[in-house]
Order: sequence, then structure tokens, then C-alpha cells
Amino acid sequence: MSGGELTLGAVSYHPRVVTIWERFRTYFADAGVPTDYLLFSNYERLVGAVLDGTVDIGWNTNTAYVVLNHRAGGNTRILGMRDVDRDWATVLVMRKGEPIKSPAELDGRVLALGSRDSGHAAILPLHYLAAEGLDAEERCQLLRFDTDLGKHGDTGDSELHVVRAVAGGEADAGALSAAYFSAFRGEGVPEVADLEVVWRSPTYYHCNFTVLDSLERELSERWSRALLAMDFDDASLRPAMELEGVRRWYSGDRDGYASLTAAMQEQAMLA
Amino acid sequence: MSTARQREPAYRVDAERLELGGGLEVLLAAALERVAPGGVLEIRTPSRAVALELPGWALLAGHELIGETAEGGAHLLQIRRGAFARTLAGPLPERGEPPPLRGGELHTADWRGGELPPDPDCGAGFAPLHAVPESGAPRHHWRLSRRDAVWADDVGELVDQASAQQWDASRDVPWEAARELDDTTEKAVAQVMTFLAQNEYAALYVPARFLGQINPQLVELVLWLGSHVYDEARHIEVFTKRSLIGGQHGYALASTELSLHTLLDEHDFTASSLLLNVLGEGTFLDLLRFIELHAPDQATATAARLAHRDERRHVHFGISNIRRATLLDPELTSSLVAAAEARAAKLVSLSGLSPRLVEALTIMAAASLQPAELAEAAGDVRTLMATMERNRLRRLRACGFSAATAKHLSDLHTPNLM
Repeated sequence: MSGGELTLGAVSYHPRVVTIWERFRTYFADAGVPTDYLLFSNYERLVGAVLDGTVDIGWNTNTAYVVLNHRAGGNTRILGMRDVDRDWATVLVMRKGEPIKSPAELDGRVLALGSRDSGHAAILPLHYLAAEGLDAEERCQLLRFDTDLGKHGDTGDSELHVVRAVAGGEADAGALSAAYFSAFRGEGVPEVADLEVVWRSPTYYHCNFTVLDSLERELSERWSRALLAMDFDDASLRPAMELEGVRRWYSGDRDGYASLTAAMQEQAMLA
Repeated sequence: MSTARQREPAYRVDAERLELGGGLEVLLAAALERVAPGGVLEIRTPSRAVALELPGWALLAGHELIGETAEGGAHLLQIRRGAFARTLAGPLPERGEPPPLRGGELHTADWRGGELPPDPDCGAGFAPLHAVPESGAPRHHWRLSRRDAVWADDVGELVDQASAQQWDASRDVPWEAARELDDTTEKAVAQVMTFLAQNEYAALYVPARFLGQINPQLVELVLWLGSHVYDEARHIEVFTKRSLIGGQHGYALASTELSLHTLLDEHDFTASSLLLNVLGEGTFLDLLRFIELHAPDQATATAARLAHRDERRHVHFGISNIRRATLLDPELTSSLVAAAEARAAKLVSLSGLSPRLVEALTIMAAASLQPAELAEAAGDVRTLMATMERNRLRRLRACGFSAATAKHLSDLHTPNLM
């Protein structure tokens, strides 16, 4: 069977990714922009596939986008992002009753971090803490949970380890995304009940759909319009959109990637 | 994110000491119900931790933090409600008039507060009465969805009666009373009980099969069939127990099985109402009354009396259902007669009640093999047959059939009891 006008690449961080893209594939066909999808086991392969033209559109984490944009010499375009991607933030959590007024007070203490390729649970925490006056790599004992490497924190697994490490006393504080912390609370993860948020980072962008500048503009704009027209109040779309964690798609821009780009440069991740 | 107040909030809520995970979500959800999509809710909290966590909660819940200020040691956060519908359905209706009570009792006949629609929505699924179904749910296909194909006007009352008259086959029967019969009488009782229990299986399987085909929006009928199925389960139980308690065995006769098999062949709801409820269970009413009156022990008499009370409801439903259906569609009569004829045609090999059953009923009633007692009991059984015929005609007339049609239907049923 023919793939369609466009091929999109996504990372299979969970079996639900198939459910999501099977529904979206039908949606894009109905919208007149047939779009097939390929799944990758990790974002490094996905970035490579966008660069070599195997796929036209990459459904990237912020980390993957920054790498792709860097390797493409800045010649990329963003076709869209989720509502939640525009307001992502990292929080520091501690055990209740042990709050700090400023992250600088973590000097000399144990800080738990998620996977080292996760923008929100490892890379940006170090960047933002430095801005708060704490060189955590130098001054803290880092307890890293490098699970699901290649998935850039999409599975939430390393952040669950962070929460448990703090609640269990292995770490004094832990960094994770505000969204995952709220999701764990909503799911009733028991350890969350013992924790509180002590600091919250500025907001930054999370995922986006990225293409190379060389992709025909009329086609990519048509795809973008179809994406933005997805309606969360359409009962046939809502289940897939809920699985994707989106209620409304936005066209997106580069503004919210400056902090991660700087952080990855600082941490020598953009060789 | 701005840290200035963006606009005048539509609603304010003071979280006091509430935390996320400790009830604050509930307060926020209730407060947001009062804010139109796109409107602003202002939350006041004394907790810095809550203030730091709220934006993440809002993000996941589909709302947007648009402002945050401090005021006298408290944190004020403004959240703009997301523009989507939280539930894919229109708004809930205004609080309405509740159903009336009768002396403090809420009766099923009164709960609907209006007419059942003739063709209720199949898409409403298992939405309870007067609930608002959300769209996007998987669609069921109910074979029996049109009200007039299945309804009885007094089904609500029948449901209440069925609940009020429940009984317990383990405890409500004086089982000790069944232990003293002689071998001959007990063997006859075991044969009669085996016959009854065998029939009650069919009386359970027929409504059970229809139950899964009914649109749940016809909820009174769902409750009714549920009670019918449960009644028959208990009848199977009580007659099986009565057979077991005496230690004797009976035959599950092939002729009985053949008759019951044809009941399950009928797939039309109203035709089943006629064959099972009116003709079968109706005839059983007279048989159960006979057993109660002539039982050699109180356990048998009690079992028959309790089952009789249930069967009266089932017969009542059948008559009510058929009377309504034939009034709405007089041409239905011919298809009902055809169903009875089709069943009779499959039963040409049956010339009447099994001799084994007639003998067992006679010995049970005589409680001996003494000629004088047998003669009297045989007379009683002959009277029973005549009573069955007379009452069958009366019930068929109550269904609305003409005298001639009633006679024809009754004759077709004669070889069967159920």
C-alpha cells in the first residue's frame, strides 16, 4: 500500500503510539493530506531519518528538535505543537516539611535527576539551577536515573524513580517536569503524597513537528492547517488526542527552545 | 506567563489549607463548572507549594495559568478555563421535579415521570434513566428496541411486586417435613419435581435470551426480565431440592425435552410471551395449585405455593403484553396463531401428557397404591385437566383473542404443560 504524500516519523515510547497514529493517519487522509507514519525506537534514529529524507516530518522532543536543528544548520521549520508543549516547566520536589527558600540551599545535598537525555528532567534542571546560583554538577551529589535512554524522558519512567528516591530518602530533592509530577499525583502514585514542590522553572517548549526547510512549503502548510483543525470536541478524535495529551494544536515557533539550546551547548551535547 | 493580573475573574475560590491530592482538585473542578470556557477562575492559597504546583495541574487539565500575584502572604493565581467540552454532551438539565413517593415508597411505576419514547435511542447504551449519555461511546445494536414490540403497561408495578415477593428456597421451605414419606409416594413426588424442574429450565432460558437483546432504555423491561430469570432460577432450585431431599430419583423425559426445545425455537418476543407466559406458565398455575392442595408433605406444598405466586406475575405480564400488542396491531393475532401452530407441528409425536407424569401425579395425590385412594386421586387429576383447559381459555380471552381463536390456541397447547 502506498504511503501517501507525506511520511511522518515518531518514537514508539509506548504501545499507544500505534493507536494514536493509526487514528491520525485516517484523519490526515480524510483531510486531504495523506500521511503515513514510521516508528523508531529512539530519537537519534528519528533525527537521522529526517536528515536523510526517510521521513518528511519528525514528531520530536525538544532535545531531538534542538539536535536536528543544529545538524541541519538551522534550516528547519516547525509545523505545530501541542497546547501543553508551550508551557512546559521543570519543578524541584522535596519531602513535605523540608522546604527550601532557594535552590542554592541544595548545596552539598543529593539531587535526583531523570534520564540524561531528558530535557525536562536532567538537561534543563542543571541549566536553570545554574541560573539560580547552584552549579549542581559541582556542588550536589547527583543521583541520575538513566532509564529508557533514547526516549528523551517520554516514558516518565526515570521521573518516577526520581519521585521514589526523594520520598524514600535516597535524595534530598528531585527534578522532573511539572506535567509528570501532576500526572503522578493524578494517578495516585503513593510516594507523591509525601512530596511538595519547592521550586518551579521558567516555562519552555517541549515537543514539535519538525521538517527540513527543503520540504515543499505549500505541502507543509497544508499539513499544518489540517493539524490545527483537529477538534477535541469531535468524539471520533478525542480518544487519540487524549492519548497524545493534546486538546488543541498550535502552529508553534522557536521562542521556547532558546534555554534548551543554551543548556545543551553548555553541557557539550551539540558536538 | 505573566505575573500581573490579566482580567477580572469570573469566579473566586479560597483554597484555605487544601492541597492538590488532598481535595483541592475537587474544589477547582466544581469552581470551574461555574466558569464559562475561556473565563477566568482566581484561586487564593496560603501555600507556596500549592502555588508552585498549580500551573502543572492546570496544564494537564487543559487550562492555562494567566497570572500570579502575592497578596498579604497569600498567593493569587488566575487560571483561564480551557475552551473544550469536558464531557462530550450538552449541559445537564436543570434540577427537575423528583418522582413522587407513595407513603414514603419510591415505586418503579412512578420513576419515569412521563411516557417512554416509542423508539428509544440505541446510542444511549447503558445510560441510566434520565442520565445524559456522552457521545463517542461505542454503539450497541439492540435487537429489541421499539417499545411497542415488547412493552406491557403495568411492567413497573410488576417489577415492584417481584422485588417485594422474593423468597429463599433454602430457608423458607420446611425441608424436615419431606423426610417421612414411604418409598412409593416419595418416588412419585420425585418424578413430579423432576418434571417441574426440567420445565423451569426452559422458563429461565427463554427470558434470559431476550434480556440481552433489549435496549437498556426500556429499563423497566430489563428489570422485569431480570426478575423473571431470577424467579425461574429459584424454581429450578426449589424443585430440584425437593427431589433430592427424599433420596428418590425421577426421569427427565425426552417428550418433555422435545416440548421445551420448541419453546426455545421461538425467537419472536410476543410469540414467546404467548407460548411461555400465557400458555405454558398459565397452565403451570393450575398444576402448581393442584400440587399444593394434594401434596403429601408440607415441603412440597410450600414449594408449589411459593412458585405459584411468582408464576402469577409472569402470566400477568404475558397477558398484558399480548393485549397491548394486539390492540396496537390487530394483524399480529394471525402471526401469534401461526407461532402456536408451528410449535404444535413440531410436536405431532406427542399425543398428550406423558403417562409417567399422570401416574406420578395420581400416586402423589393418593399417597398410596390403595384402589379407593387411587380412584379418588385419578378423579382429581381428570378435574385438573379440565381446569387447565377452562383457565387457559379464560387467559387467552383476557389477551383479547376471540372465543374461536382462544379455543384453537388452547387445543394446540394441550399436549404440553409448559
